[in-house]
Amino acid sequence: MHLAGFASLLALASIGAAGDLAPDVTADPAKHEYRRIHVDVRHAPGPETTAYQVWFSEQPFSSVADAELHSTVLVVDSVAGLARGTPVFDIQDCWLDGLPAYRDADDFPVVLRGTASWSCSLSGMAPGVDQWIAVLPVDRDGRSTSLLSPIQARTDVPDQRTPEPDTLHITLTLVSIVLAVIVLLSYLRRRDIRGGRVQSSRAYAYVVPALIGLATLTFYPITYGVWLAFTDASQSHLGQESWNGLANFATVGASPGVVRVFLFTMVWTFSNVAAHVALGLLLAHVLTRPGVRGRTAYRTILLLPWAIPGYISVLAWNGILQPDGLLNAILGTAADFTATPNAARLSVILVNVWLGIPFMMMVLSGALQGIGTDMFEAAELEGVSRWDQFVHLTLPNLKGILVPISLLGFIFTFNNFNTIYLMTRGNPYVGFGEPGATDTLVTYVFSVAFDYGQYGVAAAWSVAIFLLLVAFSYVYVKRSGVMEVAR
Amino acid sequence: MSHKAVIPAALLFFFCSALLAEDRSDPVPVKVWHTFGAGSMEERLFTRAVDGFSAEHPGIAVQVVGIPYLQNLQQFINAAQAGVAPDLIRLSDTELGKIGHITVEGMPLLEDLRAHLTPVQKRTYLPDSLFAMRYGESLYALPASRSGMTLLYNADIFDGAGAAYPTDLWRTEDLLRAAKTLTTDEVTGLALPVRWSYWFVPFIAASGGRLLDDAGNPALSSPGTARAMEWVLDLARVHGVTGSVNSIEAMSTRFQTGRAAMVIDGSWNWDRYRESGIRLGQSLLPYDAETGERLAPMIGYFGWSVAKQSGVKAAAVKLARWLTSAAVQRDFAFGTYSLPTLIELMSDPEITGHPVLGGFIEQARFGTPTPTTRITAMLFEQLDTALALTYDGSMTAGAALEAADRELAKMLKW
Repeated sequence: MHLAGFASLLALASIGAAGDLAPDVTADPAKHEYRRIHVDVRHAPGPETTAYQVWFSEQPFSSVADAELHSTVLVVDSVAGLARGTPVFDIQDCWLDGLPAYRDADDFPVVLRGTASWSCSLSGMAPGVDQWIAVLPVDRDGRSTSLLSPIQARTDVPDQRTPEPDTLHITLTLVSIVLAVIVLLSYLRRRDIRGGRVQSSRAYAYVVPALIGLATLTFYPITYGVWLAFTDASQSHLGQESWNGLANFATVGASPGVVRVFLFTMVWTFSNVAAHVALGLLLAHVLTRPGVRGRTAYRTILLLPWAIPGYISVLAWNGILQPDGLLNAILGTAADFTATPNAARLSVILVNVWLGIPFMMMVLSGALQGIGTDMFEAAELEGVSRWDQFVHLTLPNLKGILVPISLLGFIFTFNNFNTIYLMTRGNPYVGFGEPGATDTLVTYVFSVAFDYGQYGVAAAWSVAIFLLLVAFSYVYVKRSGVMEVAR
Repeated sequence: MSHKAVIPAALLFFFCSALLAEDRSDPVPVKVWHTFGAGSMEERLFTRAVDGFSAEHPGIAVQVVGIPYLQNLQQFINAAQAGVAPDLIRLSDTELGKIGHITVEGMPLLEDLRAHLTPVQKRTYLPDSLFAMRYGESLYALPASRSGMTLLYNADIFDGAGAAYPTDLWRTEDLLRAAKTLTTDEVTGLALPVRWSYWFVPFIAASGGRLLDDAGNPALSSPGTARAMEWVLDLARVHGVTGSVNSIEAMSTRFQTGRAAMVIDGSWNWDRYRESGIRLGQSLLPYDAETGERLAPMIGYFGWSVAKQSGVKAAAVKLARWLTSAAVQRDFAFGTYSLPTLIELMSDPEITGHPVLGGFIEQARFGTPTPTTRITAMLFEQLDTALALTYDGSMTAGAALEAADRELAKMLKW
């Protein structure tokens, strides 16, 4: 039977059977807390009293059958061996003489017989609702030794809620960005009109939405990320970050394994881009040659890896490379291709190569088809070999597309997250507190931000990566001279 | 009716409608996030429980949102940061350890539920379950279920090899001997992902080691734990009885497809194995041959937490109490083999005498107790690293465990 029901039956059966006076219970509103009512109890327990039961209800009651048992306070003749203290989980906070009550082995509060008064903070009380509370002395059989005398009390202490996050500064920043874009474009438009360039004045209105979208959805988050890099933003105290200068960048520089993860990122990026371009170009070249039968079918098949969502392909490869996977079944082995650092690195690179070839192949196919056939026919007549045709005719003509596409490929691959995260999550481990063997800068930054919750440090990593990519892009474009070609 | 009369009549109508609408009290909306798999038995039982609550409490409108388990925590943190956290969320003890220290605008993410329950209500839960839902002084969830692992075996493979079934009296040497006997080209004696810390934990306490010291500091490094680590890794490195199982899924698949004789696994996979046609047997994990202590798996707990920023905490707590009530826990116990967290259900003969639940409940008595702290949540990754580095020979077990302790101490300072 339910404890409260059993106790209520026993108490009900014997109310008034004994002759103790009912305890004098008073509520102290000054000490009430949220969902807690503080009661002071004055009573001299008789020799038969072994415990006090606290009953409560949101309705007046004259019998415990109409109330709910709240808690029990034990009465003992000796507190020898018992300690005073706050209960584990605050099961019931009670005090004697202003000090925490003694507690027995089961964490019940204990009152020494002869103690004239004690007090308790009664939890579980609905706020803003009248409660009727009674303290009932009972003997060792659970029979009450005095009359029931409920008092009325209520706690109006309000709930402590998390303040609404202050987003005013974000709203103001976004509004400022929008206004700044509008003001800038208005100024440019007026300048055009003054300069007599009236035909282009409407163009500004057309670009306003795109510029606002770009400014709020791209520039603002980047700026915010840069700002975070100079703060102590952390998952442990969200919304309370403060400026900490270059400390995060110092942390980035001193991170164990930083050189290794940088080097692997470079290996990952260059090997992938090189393989994508080389194999993509090879396939495109083969498929654009005249006389190839079933060209459309080949292209469709080769496009499949790109057409299937990346995460499905990667998960499929993950399964194929498992010790119980397809590859081992074909080879008749039980190798774990992601267990050792170098095998895991090779596996993730090969999977990403497979994923990236179709895109390169399609782009370069289009470019190859755009090259006129006259010079190749002339070269044929001159007896130029196929290889020389490729090196001296095809490649120079593809430079205009190869440079930007490989630059984009570099940036995409550098920032690629899915392949590594879904294949290995950066593992296998190679050291404590270090990036995993297959972690690249991007997957490691994710780990710093969301596994370790160091938002500021992760933002500093992101700024470093951003600067690295900007520098690489600048040097690459400058050295390749592709922009001069385009002009 | 003239046009002039229509406008005042319409205004009067809207005025009266507005008054009536104010009188009608709208139900209190409670948004709940859960992590049960879509279409799973857990989700069906949860939906049934919520329907029952809604019927009993028409004044509370429950809005249920399913969130993928692995995204649960980060989405909750993000939502809390944006001020749109759900009122009630299902969290594990490990997750509580991960987010217990996080504050938004200076306040914790979760409501301390101590003030919401009476002492009698708190005492209805098993003390260890309540303990698992505690972070620091606060009680951040009401425990709804727990789970642990036992030794499961494929009786047909044992019969085929003429080997005796595992018993509750087995020692680790018996486990190894049987695994060796049963390992063939096709069958793995014991499918065990030896580099996964969760599967290593049962061996730690049995070998005399522990995860944390009395003050709650990392204490992975000990001769007992180092010995246990070498023993477990040798199952794969030296004895070759664990197959090439490198993940939880690989372990389960191997056993499910009849290619493993034994597996150390939880009740959550029982139906999956049974439905695959395996003649399934179960016994307690063996005793450590050296210390004589029984292997002690981690006991995982799930509970219902109320967001600190919820504006309907009373209703949310009411629903949390419903979802952890005896009736709902019974449904989950029989439907999903999750272990109850209520004292009254531990004396229910239908539960303790259940052929599946009984074994897991018995094993849970030997579970490794772990406080729900930030360090507990962090130590698995360090233990994984120690296992990996010991497995590949980069470090000895002792050195790896010492390094893990040092790294954990460093992480605590963040």
